[in-house]
Amino acid sequence: MKAFNFGLNKLLEWIVIVCVAGAILVVLWGVLSRFVVSVPSRWTEELAVILLTWTALLGAAIGFRNRQHLGVDYAFNKLDPDAQNLNSIIIQLCIICFAACVMIWGGLNLVHQTIASGQVTAALGLRVGYTYLAVPFSGVAIVLFAIEEIFLLISGQQSSRPIGDDVDRAGD
Amino acid sequence: MEVQLVILAVSFLALLLLNVPVAIGIGLCTLILLSSIAGLDTTLVMAQRMSAANSSFTLLAIPFFIAAGILMGEGGMSRRLIDLATMLVGRFEGGLAYVSTLTCMMFGAISGSATAAVSSIGGVMIPAMERRGFNREYSVAVTTTAATTGLLIPPSNVMIVYAVVSGNVSVAAMFMAGVIPGILVGLLIMVTCWLTIHGALPKQNRGASVSTSEEIDADSKPEENLGAKKASPFKVLMGALPSMFLIIIVLAGILGGIFSATEASAIAVLYALIMSVFFYREVKLRDLPSVCLRTGVMTSIVFLLISTSQAMSWALASQQIPQTLASLMLGISENAIVILLLINLALLFVGTFMDMTPAVLIFTPIFLPVVEKLGMHPVQFGVMMVANLCIGLCTPPVGTCLFVGCSVGKTSIAAVTKSMVPFFVAMLVALLVTTYWPAITMWLPEVLDLT
Repeated sequence: MKAFNFGLNKLLEWIVIVCVAGAILVVLWGVLSRFVVSVPSRWTEELAVILLTWTALLGAAIGFRNRQHLGVDYAFNKLDPDAQNLNSIIIQLCIICFAACVMIWGGLNLVHQTIASGQVTAALGLRVGYTYLAVPFSGVAIVLFAIEEIFLLISGQQSSRPIGDDVDRAGD
Repeated sequence: MEVQLVILAVSFLALLLLNVPVAIGIGLCTLILLSSIAGLDTTLVMAQRMSAANSSFTLLAIPFFIAAGILMGEGGMSRRLIDLATMLVGRFEGGLAYVSTLTCMMFGAISGSATAAVSSIGGVMIPAMERRGFNREYSVAVTTTAATTGLLIPPSNVMIVYAVVSGNVSVAAMFMAGVIPGILVGLLIMVTCWLTIHGALPKQNRGASVSTSEEIDADSKPEENLGAKKASPFKVLMGALPSMFLIIIVLAGILGGIFSATEASAIAVLYALIMSVFFYREVKLRDLPSVCLRTGVMTSIVFLLISTSQAMSWALASQQIPQTLASLMLGISENAIVILLLINLALLFVGTFMDMTPAVLIFTPIFLPVVEKLGMHPVQFGVMMVANLCIGLCTPPVGTCLFVGCSVGKTSIAAVTKSMVPFFVAMLVALLVTTYWPAITMWLPEVLDLT
């Protein structure tokens, strides 16, 4: 499982890298095409937003593995190590609960419904349903990462650290 | 309804206290709230709301500004900005305090990250200030508080987040509205420096003036005795201007109607890339994948918060909860001054333990209807909220800027807090001015016809 998750994480990382680079290039092309070729292209905004959705969802899974999501660790830091361990397991269970219910179950439903409705995007003509596949995909990765984390915590291979301890901060 | 609301609030607080990631806490609470509404496929609606929240071209500006900030901040930008600030304000008594403040403002604005400003600028300036006679806690306090001004001065990601959640204000208006309040906070911090240097600090702790940044170098790295080569003012200016130019491109592009905010942010990435890779040669081409990865993950942290809290505000709105709360608050008093004071106190309290982005996401839908009833413009409210939560970034128990400041300054939060007090006063004064004097925020966007 460890090796599988490691590989999965690497895969997610590369998809995120390609999506970010792609989104930048696509939007730049959108600006260029307006000024240089003076034919505004409508597909650029659409594709950029799809790439952004994938970046955000898959990046979120990587963020969970690295414990980079924002959390309030004030009370956590006051606990003794055993209690911290228990607390960390509860946190991972909450994450699994959310990812499984909303992202995997709700996400699959969403994909299924939108594909069935036959909705396509305005400029590119892509099936909207496929673009939503990122939701359940990310959900599965988050659940797998969380299960691994719980194993490590129980077997004592991983010391517990609070969420939001080691953060690359964006908004602030 | 009241019972539901209490359950929601209590379960959210419990999850927060347990150190569950804020985004997950919001998501689980929304799930509970939605499942109490009959006839809804709860998880499907939730997944729908979350995907809808992410699909916005405006939000695309966030990863782009992050990427531009990383590229610009990676290399020697802090060095060049310190050079410029030293040339401008270093010569006064206690000059390093002003140099720190000004550099933090510029770095914070360009990189869009207050914590990056504290770690990059603080890393050089705090040791330098200490060797010049300032005490360490004071140096940490100056750097930490000054860095938050970067969140008010554009480009700023939290302003984009606010523009999206509040629904009907433009990113351009938010950017321009933040300019004067951001500079005001910076000026008030410098005034506080002047007052403390000339009044409260003992003579030996005032710090001498500096005329060149080589003196700062010699201070921060005493082992490297740099032969004092004084750079010409022209050279210093040419070093720092390309970094400052990033802000100009973005603002001029948006204001001139040439690009949208998102397009401007993509141009900013291109500019930062050319500057850092080819002009300054501080970022190598093979580093670019890791820059993209950091950008992606930092973006996803903000976006997960946006998507779960958008689902929550949809659920709240469907139950008319913001309206209920608004009439509750207006039941306390109809007086705008009192209500705004209460909102500010509530936000100050929230800011002591919660990060800025989640606080903006959670409280905008709740407080915005109230202040709009009182006749406040949503743009002014957004700036007020950011100015308020900036204080929270520097306060214990949880203040990300404070944490970073203490770790680069190698001191403790308890020790720094006392030195922080005068600077908190400065920030509070700026907050009061922003709250009760609309022209401070609204004049610039109104003149530019953005509202």
